[in-house]
Amino acid sequence: MIESWIIGTLSRTLAYGTPLLLGTLGEIYSERSGVLNLGIEGMMSIGAVSAFATAFLTGNPWLGMLVAGLAGGFASLLHGLVSITLRANQVVSGLALTMLGLGLSGLFGKGFEGKPLQSTIPNISIPILQDIPYLGEILFNNQNPVIYFAIVLTPILSFILYHTSIGITIRSVGENPAAADSTGINVWLVRYLCVLTGGVLSGLAGGYLSIVYRPAWTQGMTAGMGWLIIALTIFSSWSPVRGLLGAFFFGALIHLSFRLQPWVSPGLLKMMPYGSAIIALVILSLGKLNRKAGAPNALQQPYIRGEK
Amino acid sequence: MFKNKYVLTTSMVFIILSLILVGFSSTVVAQDKKLKAGFIYVGPVGDYGYTKSHDVGREYVEEMFPWLETFIAENVQAPDVESTIDQFVNNRDADVIFTTSFSHMQGTISAAEDHPDTLFFHCSGVQRRKNVGTYFSGLYQLYYLNGLMAGALTESDKLGYVAAIPNSEVKRHINSFAIGVKEVNPDATVHVRWLNTWFDPPAAKEATQSLLEIGADGFAFTEDSPTVLQTAQENGAFSFSHYNPMYRFAKEGTLSGQLTNRGVIYADILYKVYYGIYTSNNLKNVDYWWLLKEGAVELGAKRGMKINPDYIDELKSKTVEVPYLGKISVYDLVMKRLKQMKSDRVTFDPFIGPIKDREGVLRLKDGEWATHDELWTMEWAYENIKGPWPGEPKE
Amino acid sequence: MRDKLPFEIKKRQNPSGLGVITVSFFALLGAFLVASIVFWAYGVNPIQAYIVLFSGAFGGIYEISETVRRAIPLMLAGVGLVVAFRAKFWNIGAEGQLLLGATAATWVALFSPFPDFLLIPGMFFFGFLGGALWGLVPAILKSKLGINDVITTLMMNYIAINLILFLVQGPWKGKHQWGFPYTDKFPESAQLGTIAGTNVHWITLIVGIISAVLIYFFINKTTPGFEIRVLGSSPSAGRFAGMSYVKTSLLVMAISGGLAGLAGVGEVAGIHHMLRNPSELSLGYGYTAIIVAWLARENPIAVIMTSLFFGAILAGGDTIKISLGLPFQITDVFSGLILFFLIGSEILMGYKIRWSPNND
Repeated sequence: MIESWIIGTLSRTLAYGTPLLLGTLGEIYSERSGVLNLGIEGMMSIGAVSAFATAFLTGNPWLGMLVAGLAGGFASLLHGLVSITLRANQVVSGLALTMLGLGLSGLFGKGFEGKPLQSTIPNISIPILQDIPYLGEILFNNQNPVIYFAIVLTPILSFILYHTSIGITIRSVGENPAAADSTGINVWLVRYLCVLTGGVLSGLAGGYLSIVYRPAWTQGMTAGMGWLIIALTIFSSWSPVRGLLGAFFFGALIHLSFRLQPWVSPGLLKMMPYGSAIIALVILSLGKLNRKAGAPNALQQPYIRGEK
Repeated sequence: MFKNKYVLTTSMVFIILSLILVGFSSTVVAQDKKLKAGFIYVGPVGDYGYTKSHDVGREYVEEMFPWLETFIAENVQAPDVESTIDQFVNNRDADVIFTTSFSHMQGTISAAEDHPDTLFFHCSGVQRRKNVGTYFSGLYQLYYLNGLMAGALTESDKLGYVAAIPNSEVKRHINSFAIGVKEVNPDATVHVRWLNTWFDPPAAKEATQSLLEIGADGFAFTEDSPTVLQTAQENGAFSFSHYNPMYRFAKEGTLSGQLTNRGVIYADILYKVYYGIYTSNNLKNVDYWWLLKEGAVELGAKRGMKINPDYIDELKSKTVEVPYLGKISVYDLVMKRLKQMKSDRVTFDPFIGPIKDREGVLRLKDGEWATHDELWTMEWAYENIKGPWPGEPKE
Repeated sequence: MRDKLPFEIKKRQNPSGLGVITVSFFALLGAFLVASIVFWAYGVNPIQAYIVLFSGAFGGIYEISETVRRAIPLMLAGVGLVVAFRAKFWNIGAEGQLLLGATAATWVALFSPFPDFLLIPGMFFFGFLGGALWGLVPAILKSKLGINDVITTLMMNYIAINLILFLVQGPWKGKHQWGFPYTDKFPESAQLGTIAGTNVHWITLIVGIISAVLIYFFINKTTPGFEIRVLGSSPSAGRFAGMSYVKTSLLVMAISGGLAGLAGVGEVAGIHHMLRNPSELSLGYGYTAIIVAWLARENPIAVIMTSLFFGAILAGGDTIKISLGLPFQITDVFSGLILFFLIGSEILMGYKIRWSPNND
C-alpha cells in the first residue's frame, strides 16, 4: 500500500515536474546573468505550438522538440533586445512577452486545434535497471526520454555554473556587471546567451507538454506553469540542483493534491502546493539553510557602460 | 455536417411543422434582409470542449439557412458580457444573441432590458423575460448509457470520474453515470476527483493518473479537453468522448461517449425567429430542455459510431438481470434504453426511484421520476460514488 | 557588439514632459504599424481596425464609460503597487489581495450583522483590511525572515483563488443559484450604484482617484512616505538613519494590499453583486496593474492616466475582436506589441542620441 503510494507518486512527479524543471533551469541561467524573464508562459506556449505543428506536419516528434527549442529561443531574444540592448524594464518586458507569446501561439495554432498527434516520443523502459527494486520502477520503468534529458541536464548546468570559467563569467555578470566589463567580459553577449538558454529551455518545456505529456495543442494548455517556474527559480535559490528538487517537490504536491482527495477537501488540497512552498521557505529560513538565498545582485538592472 | 440521419430528420420535421404553422397563420412577409445572430462564448472556439460544441452548432445553422448571418465573440467572461452584447447590437446589428454560459446570465438579463427589440437566448440559464429565452441540452441520459457499458467492462470494479466544477449539472452527470454502473454491476464503485476548473489539461492528466493508481480501469469525465481519454488509453483503460467526437484522439480507448448536436436547437430557434414565431415579446416561457428524444444529444465515440466496435463483442457476452427485461446482454440493454429515451414517448429515465443517496436519504420514491427542477438543483451523491463531494447535503 | 554603434547615447538628467509624450507617441505609432501586419493578414484594413479601436474606447459616452469601468480596478491596484514598488517590494500579489478584498466585502454583504446603511462603508473597510491582511503575510515573511517577496506574493495569489473556490463551493454556496458555485446575490443595500446607462460604479472610481492623490501626498510629503522612499532607494542608509525596515515593510504592504482589496470590493459590489469563481471575478486585473504601475513610472497620479490608457486598450481591443470578428488573441498580441514599443522606447526619453559614426 505504502509502496504503491511512493512509487506511484514519485513516478508521476517526474512526468509533471519535467516541464517545470526545464523551465526553471533556463530561468536560473537567465537570472544568474542579471535578466529576469517573466515571459516564460509565453515562450512555453510558443514552444508548445511550434513543437506540435512540426511534429504534426512532419511526423517527427524529435524535430518538433528541436523546433520548440528554437522558437522559444527566438522569442526570448525579443526580451533580450528590449531589456538588454534597449535597457527597458525587465518586469514589463517579460509580461509583454507573455501576452505576445500567448496571443501569437493562439493565432498560429488555430489550424492545429482538435488534431490528434500520431507520432509522439514514446516512453521507454531501461532493461536491467528497471528491475532494481523501487528505484527501477520509479525511474526506469515506462518513463520518457525527455525526462532523462532534463534530469541529466541538471548536474551539467550546475557544474558549468559553479565549476567552469563560463559559470564564473555568468555569475560575475549577474553580480557586478561593471566589474565584469572591466575585466574584458562582454556583458551584453553573456546576457543575451543566458536569456537565449532560458528561452530554449522554456520552449522545450512547452514542447514536452504538447508532444509528450498530453499530445495535443490547445490555447492556454500551459495552464500557468510559467508562473510556477518563476516561483521555483527563486525557491531554488538560483541553483540548478535545488531547482530539480523544487520542481519535483512541486510535481509531487500537485499529484498528491488529487491522490489525497478522498480524505481532504479538494478545495484545501488545491491550496496545498502553494501553501507548502511558503512553509518550506519559512522552514529553510528558520533553519538557516537559506544562507545563499540571495538573488543575483544585478538582477533586473540593465547594464549601462560607464555607470554604476 | 451531421452524419446522423436522425438529427437531420428531426430538425426537418420541426421545420416542416413550423412551416405549416406559419402557413396557417399566413403572416409571413417576404424578407430579403438577412437575420443576424451573434454568439457569445465563454471559452476559445479551439478548446475542443464546451465552446467548440456550440460553434459546431453555429456552423450547422449557418450552412442550413441561406438567410442567416452569424458572428461570434470568444473568451467573454462575466464582466464583459454586457458590453459585448451592446457592440453586437450597435455595431453589428444583431437581431438574435445567444449567450452560452451560465456565468453570462446577469449580463444577458441586464443587456436585454437595454435592448428590448433584440431577442436573447441564454444557454443553461434559469431566468427569462419577454425577450430572453433559455435553452440547454442535457447529457445525463448518455452518461447513464456510458455507465452501463463501463460497469460491464470494468475488471477492477473501480471506475474513475474526473470532474470539473461541483455544480448541479456535473453532479447530475456523475450520478447518472453511477446509476448506469450500478444497474449492471452492483459491486463496482465510481471514484470522483475534482479539478475545480473547466479546463486544465495537466490537472486532468494528474487526476486521471491518481485514479489509475488506485486501480480504476475506466473513466468518465467533465473537462474541456480529451486529456482524460488520452491518458486512459496510454494506460490500457477506456474512456468516453465528451461533447465532441474524440475518437480520433484515442482509437482504442474511446468506448463510446456523449455528443452534442446543438445545431438542432439553434436551427429550431432561429427558424422560429426568422418567421416571426418568436418575437422580442413572447419569450417569457420559452425554455428548451432538449435531450435524446429531440436529437440534441447523441450517443457515440464519434458520429455514426455509437459504440467502438472493439468493445461490442464483450458487451454482447455480458448478461444481466433487469426488471421487466429479464436476462439481457449489456449491449442489448444499452440499445433498449437508448431506444426508450429516444422515442417520442419516453419510457425510461435514469432518475426513476427508488433512488437513495450515499448518506442513505431516499431521494426519489419508488416509481417517481425526477422533475426538471430536481435534476437542475441536484446536490446529492449516488450510493456507489466514492470520494469528495463539495456541498453534499446531509439530509 | 561592444557599443560600436554609429551613434552616441548620453544620459539626460530629467526627461522633459514633452519629450516623454513625443517619444511615447512615436512608440505607439510603431506598435500600430507592426500590428497592422497582423490585421492585414486577417484581411482587415488596418486603418479600419484603428478607427474601430478608437471608437470602441472613446467613440461616445458609453464607449468612454466602458474604458473607465475597466480602468477602475487597475487604478486602485496600480496605486497600491506604486507604494510597494517605491519601497522596492516586488508585490506580484495584487490579484490575490484584490480577491481577498472581494471576499471580505462578501462577508460583510451577506454574513455580517451590519445594518443596511453601514453595509457599503463596511464593505470598503473590511475589503481594505482583507487585502491588507493578504499583503502583510509576505511583508512579515520578507522583513522578519528574509523570504523572497516575489514568490510569496505569487503563491498567495493561488491560495486566494482556491480559498474563494472553496468558499463558493462549500460554506458560502448560494441557496438560490441553482447549484452553481456562487454565493447568493448581495442585498440591494450592498450594491454600488452606477452612473445611469453605464456600468461605472462611480463610488469606487472616486475612491480610486482620491487614493491616487492621497498616496501622492503620503509618499512625497509625509515622514513615513519619506522613509519608504529612503528604504526603497537604499535600505542601509535608511537603517543607519534609524528607520525600521520591518515597520516600513508592513506599512507598505498593508497599503498596497489594502488598495488592491478596495479594487476587489468595487468588482463584487459594483459589477457582480456576488462572490463567484475568481476567473470570472477578476480578469487578471492584479497582473495588469503591475504594468499600469510601471508605465506610470511609480507616480501615483500618473496611475490615473495609465490605468485609463490600459482600460482603453482593453475596451478597444474587445471592440476589434467583437466588431471585426477577429480571434480574441488579437487583443493579447496588440497589448504585447504596445508594451514592447512603449518600454523599448523609454531609452530615448532618458537619453540624448547624437549621431557620431566614429564612436569606438
